[in-house]
Amino acid sequence: MMAVFEKCERLRHIGHLDIQRAMQRALRRSGLPVSYSKGYNPHILVTFASALSTGASGRRELMDVTLEEPVTPEAFLEAMNRALPPDMQLQSARVLEDRHPALMAMVAAADYTIRVMDGAAAEAFRTCLPGFLRQETIMALRKTKSGEKACDIRPLLHELTMEGDSLHAVMTLTEQESCKPDMLVKALSAHCGVEVPRVMVVRNALLGRNEMGALVPLETL
Amino acid sequence: MNVNAGKIEAMLEKVQKASRYTGGEMNTAIKPWEEAELHFAFCFPDTYEVAMSHLGMKILYALINDQPWSTCERVCMPWIDMKALMEQEQVPLFSLESRTPLCDFEVVGFTLQYEMSYSNILAMLKLGGIPLLREERKRDDPIVVAGGPCAFNPEPLADFIDAFMIGDGEEVMLELNQVIRDWKRSGAPRIECLKKLAGLRGVYVPALYDVTYHEDGTIASFTPNCPEAPEKVLKCIVTDLDSAFYPRDIPVPYTEIIHDRIMLEVMRGCTRGCRFCQAGMIYRPVRERGLKRLVELADSLEKSTGYEEISLSSLSTGDYTCLPELIRQLMKDLEKERVHISLPSLRLDSVLKESLSETQKERKTSLTFAPEAGTQRLRDVINKGVTEDDLMEKTRDAFENGWSSVKLYFMIGLPTETTADLDGIADLARKVVAAYFSVPKGQRAKGLRVTCSASSFVPKPFTPFQWEPQDTQAMLMEKQAHLRQEMAQIKGVNFNYHESGLSFLEACFSRGDRRLGKVLLRAFEKGCYLDGWSEVFSFEKWMDAFRETGVDPDFYAHRRRGRDEILPWDFVDSGISKEFLWREKEKAEQGLVTRDCRQGCNGCGLHRFKGVCKFCG
Repeated sequence: MMAVFEKCERLRHIGHLDIQRAMQRALRRSGLPVSYSKGYNPHILVTFASALSTGASGRRELMDVTLEEPVTPEAFLEAMNRALPPDMQLQSARVLEDRHPALMAMVAAADYTIRVMDGAAAEAFRTCLPGFLRQETIMALRKTKSGEKACDIRPLLHELTMEGDSLHAVMTLTEQESCKPDMLVKALSAHCGVEVPRVMVVRNALLGRNEMGALVPLETL
Repeated sequence: MNVNAGKIEAMLEKVQKASRYTGGEMNTAIKPWEEAELHFAFCFPDTYEVAMSHLGMKILYALINDQPWSTCERVCMPWIDMKALMEQEQVPLFSLESRTPLCDFEVVGFTLQYEMSYSNILAMLKLGGIPLLREERKRDDPIVVAGGPCAFNPEPLADFIDAFMIGDGEEVMLELNQVIRDWKRSGAPRIECLKKLAGLRGVYVPALYDVTYHEDGTIASFTPNCPEAPEKVLKCIVTDLDSAFYPRDIPVPYTEIIHDRIMLEVMRGCTRGCRFCQAGMIYRPVRERGLKRLVELADSLEKSTGYEEISLSSLSTGDYTCLPELIRQLMKDLEKERVHISLPSLRLDSVLKESLSETQKERKTSLTFAPEAGTQRLRDVINKGVTEDDLMEKTRDAFENGWSSVKLYFMIGLPTETTADLDGIADLARKVVAAYFSVPKGQRAKGLRVTCSASSFVPKPFTPFQWEPQDTQAMLMEKQAHLRQEMAQIKGVNFNYHESGLSFLEACFSRGDRRLGKVLLRAFEKGCYLDGWSEVFSFEKWMDAFRETGVDPDFYAHRRRGRDEILPWDFVDSGISKEFLWREKEKAEQGLVTRDCRQGCNGCGLHRFKGVCKFCG
């Protein structure tokens, strides 16, 4: 079963591991016929399409739950929303065929709203955005296990606009390469010559590629 | 949300472990603020991880929220970074649920689990915008109450707390809230509320008592100053645990906490009568929950929390009458949900052996034993009815059954202790190691780990040792050094001990009187808080506070009290008679043991409450 869930603003500081554990416990509370892994410390078979970083909230996060017997999406939604706290409710659910590729492997990009909490920085971003996007390469620092690595994020920016105080960005998100909101904001701040402002990040959707190669919400694939 | 919402969000980005302050956990969605007539802030004077591991809080939280007219929200002590930000941004300490400032609640209730959390109470009141001294509180300020084990000697906090609840909280909690609700409506002055509260069973209102002192500093008189205040405050007792309130859903934190599991309280009280143990005395008599009720509670708690582990808690779970049946039944019921059952406070002579084979189907964590003292002589003095043979048999069993990690708990500085008793601790550790190696290599689990902990004895009120002096810090440090040297020679043993300065302060406050209020206040003003955390604890600041207020800490920690001395907590009726405690003290000096109450009544004084103690003669 593939389910779309929300991580509300209140929970934005809850890390991915804690969200995973909370979801496991909700699945246990739900009474649904979930499957457990074999072995010494059995855990529920649930995988998440993508880890959402601490500090960000998510509107349409995805997970895949393995069930022992068929359950309708309606029954799944109903049972889970009773078992989940108000800030972590499911939006929709869909039965996936066993042969459906792993969600994690399908994620190609993500759609973000990045609210700039500093008026002056927001103003500077608005002014500099066209120039920022005209650059052929945009160097940014990517955090890796072994430290920071410089990489060009220009090819990873699929869409970048600004409405009011918020940036709207669609950026590559794969296991090999990705541009995270903090990388973008740092690069943009450097370009505009302003200090890195406080931002509130909302991940609106995870995107995958359809047969035409276009980026569409992952849950529709 | 409230006016500080924006600031709070900005602060949360700057602190470590912001999840301590976010709230929104499962089973914490309570009624809207306006729907309740009375708002209770349950304050735990320590960090979120400690607070959320506490069973009493879960019980009272659910109990208050169960009433349509009242609501309970949680407040914890913020960590260093968050506290600094709150002060800098002038954001008052807020509740986890609705982020309401502490001063907007009608009742602010603290649980007193540990003396060294007292400075956090002051810190929380200050951060919450509430005058520290009860005398300075106005009509609109919250009524500040406190309960829990340390409330059995409430005096060191007498300047700061309006009313104490002594004994089992679920008994008096709602009555107290009702009195405060009705008083709020009435418009009467604050003192009227306090006088009404003093009329409730188990409630102590320090403003209504006067204390005078002899020239030598001991108490000359302790008397009520108004007719509403009883001369003796009798603790509350839940007579039947089966009909007592127990929550069916408890908050499930996102972040990992210390005891991250369902705690099923199988019984309250203990019949062993260890002479150093305050809990064993103040929670008397033993009351057990019925098997049927426990099985049913376990089932509903499992369904409402989704926890993967359940622990059977009490002071001495091994003594629970139908423990094997209970474990078997729970294993059967919870097997499908793959719930692990853990038995935390297993004792040496409990039914460990019988249950071992059942528990070990699950993972093997370390086993904990608490011989408390190193020789039989000293174990007899403290009435710890455990023998070396018991310990060796149980550890051998454990090693044969696949355990390789054992924790041993001891105390140093016990009354009558000699060097031989200290060497006995090292001897026991050595024998445990030998027991491991006596199991053939193929049969035992790899990686022997024996952890020996030696805490320093702190004499507590309502124990037979309440008259005893604590060892001086110099003596304790010498003993620690001696043991460290002995232990270093034993392979596979890891030895640790407690900071002696902390134990010394614990001794001052556990048996302190109301004159310690000014020391506490001064220490707080000097920057003491989170004293239980070594990152923050400053013994020097505390010593300065004693010096500057002219209070002698040795008077509280190192002085032997006389039989006829009025002790600061004498006005509390714990159910146990002072005669019984004195008798036990004398027996201790002679090395005589007292039997477990289950083998016959020892006349502790509880027989006054006919039928509550089922072992009373």
